[in-house]
Amino acid sequence: MELTRKAFMQTLAGAAVTAALPKASMPAAARKTKMKLSVTAYSYGSDIREGSMTFDSVVADVADMGCDGIELLGETNVQDYPNPSSEWVAHWFSLLDQYNLKPSAYDTFVDTMFYHNRNLTSSEAAEFLERDFKLAHRLGFRNLRQQWPPYKADDPADEINAPYVMSKLATETIMKALPLAEKYDVRMGIELHSPTQLKSKFIDSILETIQKTGTKHLGFTPDFSSFVRRPPRNRIAELLNQGARQKIIDYIVSAYQNKLGPEKTVAEVKKMGGNDMEVQYAGIAGIYHFSNNDPKDLSRLVPYCFHVHAKFYEITDDLKEYSIPYDELLRVLEEGGYDQYLSSEYEGSREEHTISAALRAHQAMMRSTLGIV
Amino acid sequence: MAQYNILDYGFKNFTKDGKASGFQVLVKDSYYRGIYAPLIESFEATVDGESFARDQIQCKFRDNVYSQDDLQNHPNERWQFNEPCTLIITKPGGLKPGFHNIEIVVRERISYMPVIPSVRTFKAKLAMVM
Repeated sequence: MELTRKAFMQTLAGAAVTAALPKASMPAAARKTKMKLSVTAYSYGSDIREGSMTFDSVVADVADMGCDGIELLGETNVQDYPNPSSEWVAHWFSLLDQYNLKPSAYDTFVDTMFYHNRNLTSSEAAEFLERDFKLAHRLGFRNLRQQWPPYKADDPADEINAPYVMSKLATETIMKALPLAEKYDVRMGIELHSPTQLKSKFIDSILETIQKTGTKHLGFTPDFSSFVRRPPRNRIAELLNQGARQKIIDYIVSAYQNKLGPEKTVAEVKKMGGNDMEVQYAGIAGIYHFSNNDPKDLSRLVPYCFHVHAKFYEITDDLKEYSIPYDELLRVLEEGGYDQYLSSEYEGSREEHTISAALRAHQAMMRSTLGIV
Repeated sequence: MAQYNILDYGFKNFTKDGKASGFQVLVKDSYYRGIYAPLIESFEATVDGESFARDQIQCKFRDNVYSQDDLQNHPNERWQFNEPCTLIITKPGGLKPGFHNIEIVVRERISYMPVIPSVRTFKAKLAMVM
């Protein structure tokens, strides 16, 4: 009987898995680029939840595809978050040593709506961040992929770009967290996920804070979901299967590409007689969950980028990302002298047993684009 | 259809004073990170079409049992990633041996989402042994 990978993984508990897998043995890469490669463990979420992979086998897999580093999401990957045992922490360092990986970035969130009847104050939000700073430092991370605190926009008209909006409370939180970041020597790379608009007062205000304070502990983590030229195909296929109409989907995609914006697109789709599913896809919970920035607009931020989320949805057989202009993005980073990590973050099909293959294809694409052989 | 959110493991009746007084069922979240207890607005459960009231459903994280209203008061308690929460559901007489159709709805406040709360619905057909 053929032994499936799932059955194989289940025959070997925790440590035995890592012992059984060989050490990464990629040949020393000839590199011109200074950029480094990483995978975020978040990518493996469904394989971990469904039991086919463990934390240890994820670390082994990331090393096996030749990465330099690995990114963790504290609340997902750290056992007994936010207070892992010293045994767990020692195990983490022994895995890094065994597989010759570096900690690339640690992911933080701010649950501004922590209580049902009120928002966190900015001081409380900074206290939560301090827990993560301490833990990141303890686990050997220097870079944070930090979520911008998701408070309401000061200007209601800006809410369409939430949570990437100017907000007095968010700015206060960051200012209160800044001395703590310095204390634990971790660098807050504010995540620029879609629907971030790179040409915006939101970005200008963070840049102004960096320049005014001269801090080395505040910067950016661009996420390539902000550079989606055309939306992923797997979601569209699902919608068409569930009764969305090709003509209306085509209209929504072209409206997105022409930067019509969610309000006008929704209004047009309603006029066309769009059903609930089509109307939803036309708005912020649908296609405008992505944003379509020009890679050139990233240039001015490159000197302040501590980490990059190399988001991807689908790698085609000719080794291209279907939705995102990787060649342009990597050129902008290279020209700007970026020398930190590109960390693969997969958000395509969540089907079990497909994730490692997708990550490997993505790493192969980035290596080929960067000329890493 | 295969699902991993509602566990076969742990599905059983419990007794009080020698009589079945309810049942428990273990639930794993589908969200990609663990969350603090106050972010949970509610657990709802329906078994074979019978819905249970909020105060009939308690929840247990590791060894700590809370009423749903009390979750707000425990800012350090966590529903850890990939760990089950045990729902302890009051039902005099418990559930009969054999198959039951279970539906669990979880509502969570995820601050950055465009729609709050996030609503996740899990369904499974489980077999009660005793």
